Amino acid sequence: MKFQLIFPKWRKLQGQTTFNLPPHGAMVFAATIPDYVEVEFIDENLEEVRYDDDVDFVGISMLLTTQIKQGWAIADEYRKRGKKVMFGGISTMLHAEETMLHADCVFLGEAEGHMEQVFKDFKNGELKKVYNHMNDLPAIETVGPARRELYNRDLYYHKGVQMVDLFHASRGCRYSCYPCAVSYLGGRNFRARPIDKVVEELDTIENNRLFLVDNSLAQDTEWEKELFKAMIPFKKKWCSHTIEDKPEVLDLAAQAGAWYVYQAVFDTSDYIKERVKRYHDYGIGVEGTILLGLDNQTEDDIKRLIDFLLEIDLDLAEFTVLAPFPHTKAYTDLIKQDRIFDKDWNNYNAGQVVYNPKHMSAERLQELYQYAWDTFYKDETQEEKMFKLLKQVVSREVEDGTFRKRRQDLSKSSFGKVVNNKIA
Amino acid sequence: MEATVSNYQDQVYSYNGLWDLPSICGLKIVKKENNTIVIATDLFDENPGTSITEWNTKLAKDICDKNEINYNKLIYIEHTPDKKTKLSFNQESFFKVDFEISDEKFDNPKWQELTKDEVNILLTE
Repeated sequence: MKFQLIFPKWRKLQGQTTFNLPPHGAMVFAATIPDYVEVEFIDENLEEVRYDDDVDFVGISMLLTTQIKQGWAIADEYRKRGKKVMFGGISTMLHAEETMLHADCVFLGEAEGHMEQVFKDFKNGELKKVYNHMNDLPAIETVGPARRELYNRDLYYHKGVQMVDLFHASRGCRYSCYPCAVSYLGGRNFRARPIDKVVEELDTIENNRLFLVDNSLAQDTEWEKELFKAMIPFKKKWCSHTIEDKPEVLDLAAQAGAWYVYQAVFDTSDYIKERVKRYHDYGIGVEGTILLGLDNQTEDDIKRLIDFLLEIDLDLAEFTVLAPFPHTKAYTDLIKQDRIFDKDWNNYNAGQVVYNPKHMSAERLQELYQYAWDTFYKDETQEEKMFKLLKQVVSREVEDGTFRKRRQDLSKSSFGKVVNNKIA
Repeated sequence: MEATVSNYQDQVYSYNGLWDLPSICGLKIVKKENNTIVIATDLFDENPGTSITEWNTKLAKDICDKNEINYNKLIYIEHTPDKKTKLSFNQESFFKVDFEISDEKFDNPKWQELTKDEVNILLTE
């Protein structure tokens, strides 16, 4: 049986450096598909969808809200051709009812342990409209390894430099933050993968640079320390979200190859300043993630925050505006207050204002968002700052003998397309 | 599961939310001669499932049916308690929710924010 697994494209944010990372969720899902199924993967951000391929069953893996309308359009095309289409993934769960209108089958929850049944039902012509496993999370030790062999690898290079591979060591989150839907998606318990399973999967990854996509590793100190200890021998370099702010944890993270972290910067406190400094003390870079448009922010607050970012020696900064994704407190609050004016999911990309902020107009917030990017990268562009971070990691790789030269055969292409090679 | 008890909550109410997720909220019911006030309290991190706001059309009907509350005499209030953070959007709020009710079905919720004083007057008057 042939199964075509598709990751729909989405409109990228204007003015920002676009990097196409190899999608992770789709490959984790692919690992749950029975062995007798031949799986082919298409990342529509980099390849055209081949609607007329000879396939039996189509899966659409959706991660982002801004991706779902394209996912629906793809499904509609396949269904016109008589193919059955299944949807899964994070934004399928966030938008399940709407997605059902375009699907033969919607899978909700985590796929481990359930795909034998789904494919059996497909073979027997008994596919159910909804497979609801939201309340039936699998044992965490059954997760992975992701089927990274399905990537068309050459597409994930920029001027000969390979993009990081994505990896996850845990699921769920014990926090339930205002703009975040993770606790709805993965449960309100932090579920750490057993260290031996993490090691087993790391051993399958050829790439020496990773992105640990866990929402926050800082949820179980002992496990986090064991994870970093186990990672040391691999000599991989990696970025991640927040690492726990304890000297012994930061020290182990650095030894394990921590390259840089995404750290939320939500105020101008000394705590944030010191937090960034502590990462740097351990040789870990910091990309500040700054969410604009919360109800506690005035125009002056936002401007002060941007000035502050320039003072605290961040390596990179990423600005977003609040996007009220379904199943978040942000969404329900704004719905109750009748403040959401744009219901087009294509615009829920965290770069476009879709609601009326409390202390300014939507237009003004949009301007401040642009002002934030322009001001932070005034003296050095985002690409130049990224290049500096890359140089840091290259130095470390040279030191420990893991550095790999860029691929010369791909040095004049970026994500599968030929480009002018302006930067070395 | 322990949940916070406040002036606006007498019990923890269990319901099956979206996709049958087991869910809980705080509940206070005050029956009066001319109306019945129902306060559903969002329990945030203690609630493993669907929020009261996302599920309000089903939840309000469910509470009415199980407690023999006349739909036409219902005053339904969503309460979000103070999460005790410095962030303004985590402060306490009350919203009166009006539903369109027809054929035993609650639909089209419309929210109207109330002050704490207004809620207290409703409860005590």
